[in-house]
Amino acid sequence: MNFQRILYDMLSYSAPIILCVLGGNYAHKANVLNISLEGMLLMGAFSSVLFVMISGNIFLGCIIGILATLILGVVFSVMCVTKKGNPIIAGLAINLLASAISAFVLKAMGLANLNVNNIVDVAGLKINIPIIKDIPFIGGVISGHPLITYVSFIGIFIMWLIMYRTKFGVYVRVTGENEDAATSVGIKTNRIKYIAIMIGAFCCALAGINLALEKMALFTNNMSAGIGFIAIAAIFCGKGKPVRSSVYAIVFGLAQSLATNLNISAGPASGLFNTLPYFMIIGILAVVSVIQLKNNRIRGFKNE
Amino acid sequence: MKKRNTFVMSLFNSLLPVLSAFIIGAIIILLIGENPMTTYWIMLKYTLFDWGGFLKTLHYASPLILTSLAIAITFKANIFNMGVEGQMLGGAFVSCILGFSLNGLSTPIHILICITAGILTGMLFAIVPAILKAYFKVNEMVVTLMLNYAIIEILRVLAQTIFRDPSSGYVSTPAVLPSAMFKRLGGTSLTLFTLITIIVFAVMYTVMKKSRLGYEIKAIGRNPEFAEASGMNVRKKIIYMMLISGALSGLAGAGFMMSEKFKYTLDFSGNPGLGWDGMLISLLGSHNPIGILIAAILYSALKTGSDSIGIFANVPKEIVFVIQGMIILFLSIKFLDERTKLFANFKTRFIPKRTPEEAD
Repeated sequence: MNFQRILYDMLSYSAPIILCVLGGNYAHKANVLNISLEGMLLMGAFSSVLFVMISGNIFLGCIIGILATLILGVVFSVMCVTKKGNPIIAGLAINLLASAISAFVLKAMGLANLNVNNIVDVAGLKINIPIIKDIPFIGGVISGHPLITYVSFIGIFIMWLIMYRTKFGVYVRVTGENEDAATSVGIKTNRIKYIAIMIGAFCCALAGINLALEKMALFTNNMSAGIGFIAIAAIFCGKGKPVRSSVYAIVFGLAQSLATNLNISAGPASGLFNTLPYFMIIGILAVVSVIQLKNNRIRGFKNE
Repeated sequence: MKKRNTFVMSLFNSLLPVLSAFIIGAIIILLIGENPMTTYWIMLKYTLFDWGGFLKTLHYASPLILTSLAIAITFKANIFNMGVEGQMLGGAFVSCILGFSLNGLSTPIHILICITAGILTGMLFAIVPAILKAYFKVNEMVVTLMLNYAIIEILRVLAQTIFRDPSSGYVSTPAVLPSAMFKRLGGTSLTLFTLITIIVFAVMYTVMKKSRLGYEIKAIGRNPEFAEASGMNVRKKIIYMMLISGALSGLAGAGFMMSEKFKYTLDFSGNPGLGWDGMLISLLGSHNPIGILIAAILYSALKTGSDSIGIFANVPKEIVFVIQGMIILFLSIKFLDERTKLFANFKTRFIPKRTPEEAD
């Protein structure tokens, strides 16, 4: 078992989860249950790879990919904020739509998957940090990731800053805690919710680009494999706090990395290790919920 | 008058999303250079306007009715059991294994064993999130979704290794024995499974509409705190609901296995699976049994019709998934609600108001 490899993969797998968590946190704090992270991530992955393929330019493809995901975010916001629809159902619809649109376009183009290996050089996108890469063990873990992986880890700090040190962050939290009070002091709560959801869509688009374009230069159907929901679990566990939720995201990344690395040495039953992250999430979520329940002083049953 | 008003409103709230989704679907078909009207006609011609085709539609509607009832009973209480897909697959897989491994049983007993095993498996997968939700307040949505992924993964490994049929060219289990198959009735596509579904539907209708449990589910959905305060044991009710939901999903899987597929393959429930279709149908029928029945038949026609699209028209059948996503998206909002005065406007404009003197 290669310990260095496991840690490297841990960072690599955590990046899209962290991005989804960071994006989802704002909607969570603004009291919008956004379960469409999965679909937005898939849309980001699909549209960026598709438009890189069409335009032949990585930068342009990423921009259009982000725009396409933002459109999905607008649709979600219109449905749940302006029209006051059921966010769970709208979120599910976004998830289904993203998966359906990508499957439909792939079929209409007559392709099994989108491969842009000839345009994107995956090895070339990896950034080797000058001094750190020469440190014996740590260099192999930290150095050599694509750009957005680093952005995701820096993003934890930026998002914390925005959430707790800016006026906008205060507005978001006030909107989530008491919408009527927020409206009464003149905060445009709908606008705040829109921005919160759009930040989520933007982060998910980055996560999708990271997942599909930067690491593999490949898009396959339903490649998101529940990352969006893993992120939601991390948000619930971390109560929507950027740093704490991100720690959970990294733990889930570790689970995935363990699953992949154990699979290599497992032989025929290798697929069984793929279930490890999912069971681990259920376990962690259960433990965290029990701890939260212990501090609960509300009588009776409350469904949140 | 008020009752009729709400009925018309709920009818419009179900029809308008479908209509808008089909219009958007038509635009997409136009964009890839095909004729939407011909495509839609092909889709419905062989499924609704043809007797044999209609029976086939009914046959495919049976598991859909069961999964959508499984969704409806929990969604009505604002408990979101997203694991119907996994529970259904689990039920199907177990019934399949028993179906090909138990030798020398008479048909009724074999079918009974397989169905019971399927139902129990579905309940087993549902009880875990139910207990976590009821007693530890773990978000049931995340748990059931994660369990879905885990179950699908486990079943895939099992189908690829231990239970793989070595003579088959693709990943699949052996087919169930003839004694565990539902026979086709009189040369049509229908089997006894459809009859079982109708019986289960009648039972569920009574439970949801006429029984105490149905009322309590409604109350929990409206306001769980109030329900608890007025003396209902909400925790226990959540477990009951999830068990019923799991049982229905397991039955759907077992029945679909023994009446249609006969062996477990990796695309057993299609894409999107029967559980997800059930969610759409349940939303379309606004979690109301009768609405579900109609929606399930229409949706089954849409789904079986999508195969004809793939064969007779030059449109990828994935267009149906796009339409499905659109329908759910539009279903999340209410096009009309109590504030929309549908008849009030109409009345004030066309029927002159009576003055009190005239009324006397």
